Amino acid sequence: MGHFLVTETLIIELLLIVSLVAMAVRRLRVPYTVALVLVGLLITSQQPGQLELTPELILALFVPPLVFEAAFHIELDQLRDNLIPLLVLAVPGVLLSTLIVGLVVALGTNISLSNALVFGALIAATDPVAVVALFRAMGIPKRLTFLMEGESLFNDGTSIVVFGLALTAALSATGANTGQAGFNLVVALVDFVRISLGGLGIGLGLGWLMSRVIAQLDDYLIETTLTTVLAFGTYLVAEWLHVSGVLAVVAAGIVNGNIGPRGMSPTTRIVLFNFWEYLAFVANSLVFLLIGLDVNVQLLTAHLAPIGVAIGGVLLSRAVIVYGLTWLLNLRWRSIPLAYRHVLFWGGLRGAIGLALALSLPAAIADRELLRVMAFGVVLFTLLAQGTTMQFLLRWLKIGDRPAQVVARETRLGRLLAAQAGVRRLAELHHDGLLSDDVWAGLRDEYRQTSNRLAAEMDQLFAEHADLEREVLLQARREALRAERAALGDALRQGLLSEDVYRQLVREVDRRLEAVALISRATTPPSDASAEKAPDRGSSGHA
Amino acid sequence: MGPIVCATRGGEASRRTQEQAIALAGQKQATLIFLYIADPFTNDTLSNEMHDALVDELSQLGHQLLNIARRRAAERGVCAETVVRVGRLQEALEQFLREVHASTLVIGAPQPANREQASPPGELPVFAKHLQDTTGVEVVLVT
Repeated sequence: MGHFLVTETLIIELLLIVSLVAMAVRRLRVPYTVALVLVGLLITSQQPGQLELTPELILALFVPPLVFEAAFHIELDQLRDNLIPLLVLAVPGVLLSTLIVGLVVALGTNISLSNALVFGALIAATDPVAVVALFRAMGIPKRLTFLMEGESLFNDGTSIVVFGLALTAALSATGANTGQAGFNLVVALVDFVRISLGGLGIGLGLGWLMSRVIAQLDDYLIETTLTTVLAFGTYLVAEWLHVSGVLAVVAAGIVNGNIGPRGMSPTTRIVLFNFWEYLAFVANSLVFLLIGLDVNVQLLTAHLAPIGVAIGGVLLSRAVIVYGLTWLLNLRWRSIPLAYRHVLFWGGLRGAIGLALALSLPAAIADRELLRVMAFGVVLFTLLAQGTTMQFLLRWLKIGDRPAQVVARETRLGRLLAAQAGVRRLAELHHDGLLSDDVWAGLRDEYRQTSNRLAAEMDQLFAEHADLEREVLLQARREALRAERAALGDALRQGLLSEDVYRQLVREVDRRLEAVALISRATTPPSDASAEKAPDRGSSGHA
Repeated sequence: MGPIVCATRGGEASRRTQEQAIALAGQKQATLIFLYIADPFTNDTLSNEMHDALVDELSQLGHQLLNIARRRAAERGVCAETVVRVGRLQEALEQFLREVHASTLVIGAPQPANREQASPPGELPVFAKHLQDTTGVEVVLVT
């Protein structure tokens, strides 16, 4: 009982710190996750050794909700559009990163090549959570955010698989008595495919199965609970079957996120999305706080040279992958603009997966402590140096800049809505006898003048930028179609529609939504116009 | 006198193009027709159902845009008709101009910085000249 209370108190303390940091960063221009690491560092410098970050804690407890939540929000259309670059970055990208970092570390330190390759694999997974929050705040184009998040989602899984293979190779190279057979490249490649595809297959299967079960229910509590079972259960089942647990969760999340919500009521959808948002927030916050708490500053300062080499290797590998592989991709597939590549390069932060793998290194591996310190050093550097400077890079590249007319429309619209709300409230006060006729008349006239002026300004804006008007029409159409879709779901649940008719009608609405998205993509001058080339399919038109 | 046709699709230049067409129709006391051509994008990967949905949505957008244009014309005392056609831009435009025996076609040229233009700015005058030669309709290019 005493142990339970200690654990409970500790969790409450951590959640309180997380909340305080979250509140504080609203006023500061520091990414939330970076602030958590800094606070963790501050606490551990005062009271070292309070908490231990274990690989099991990260991989089995924190990673499934983080990965599931991210995968749950991936739209199949977006995935289809960007699948090739994502796969290239996540598979050859991870292999290339492992090799380059391994070679640099082996050449720049006294670590053997086989152990350096283990380090290359464990540090290969990117974790852009610190910058993605910034992307959302700055209104960065969806495609760039998607590339960043999608790459991370898939390379988490592949880096774990590659790490396992590299570790086997390193242990057999050093002749460690691990009970494992010697390393064989062909066997390793077959294992890579088996573990990856096996994980994806299990995730697809369980994700689909759970979506079918959820489709039969209309109880948001049970449905939410089942998604929790899916996220954690898929990981455990896959690991139990010796295939990739992370890739299994990715696949389950994508399937469940795209099929599951179709059969859900609006209430369930809202509860589910809020629940997973909260769970991911807590998991993410605790991971980064624990990273800060687990850092041994003295050890870091004692190994600055190898950490510097590791950072150099990581940056070099990132440059080769981002600029080299995407250059090859641009020859054949939809182009990734140069400005995006700069962001992908500098946004290649490292995080929880790298640390979890470093912490899971077996005692039999030589230089284990040094490899762990290097991993912490790289993670800290990417978070503190790259994470905090990303906003300047984005501004310099003008990626977050939205067209002036769009900002002007929103500003005027906001002022117009505010003025209308103000006059409504004054009318209520006047109606309740709290405002005299004279005061009310004076205020009302002033508000009317403001409203009329803003409406005229909006009209002028539309006259100068007629394309805004078309975008407003497309936005309105999207909203109407979403409402139609929700209404069909309600009609199905009320028994007004049969399952077959519902599916047919929803497919029609979905096609229309896709058509509107196609029109919007092909004709709108969006905020990413400055960086992204027009899609290949150009719309014909005149004015 | 044949009607004045104003081909528009709600792009950056559409408002000034419409304004000019309205002014021209008022001045010449001619019938004004706002025309929108729903030209589905060249995309072989679209299924037939998706292609149909795209044409429908383009046509619907066209109707909405033209209704706004017609209201603006009415505010200036000009009565306008609206027509939405589906097809390849050039062919559909030529065919429509012949069908209604148009006297003038008013089209807009987007600002060079605007990425959505269908053809580079230099090609628009060529396009206008080609239309004029093949249909005999006077083409007014609004920049």
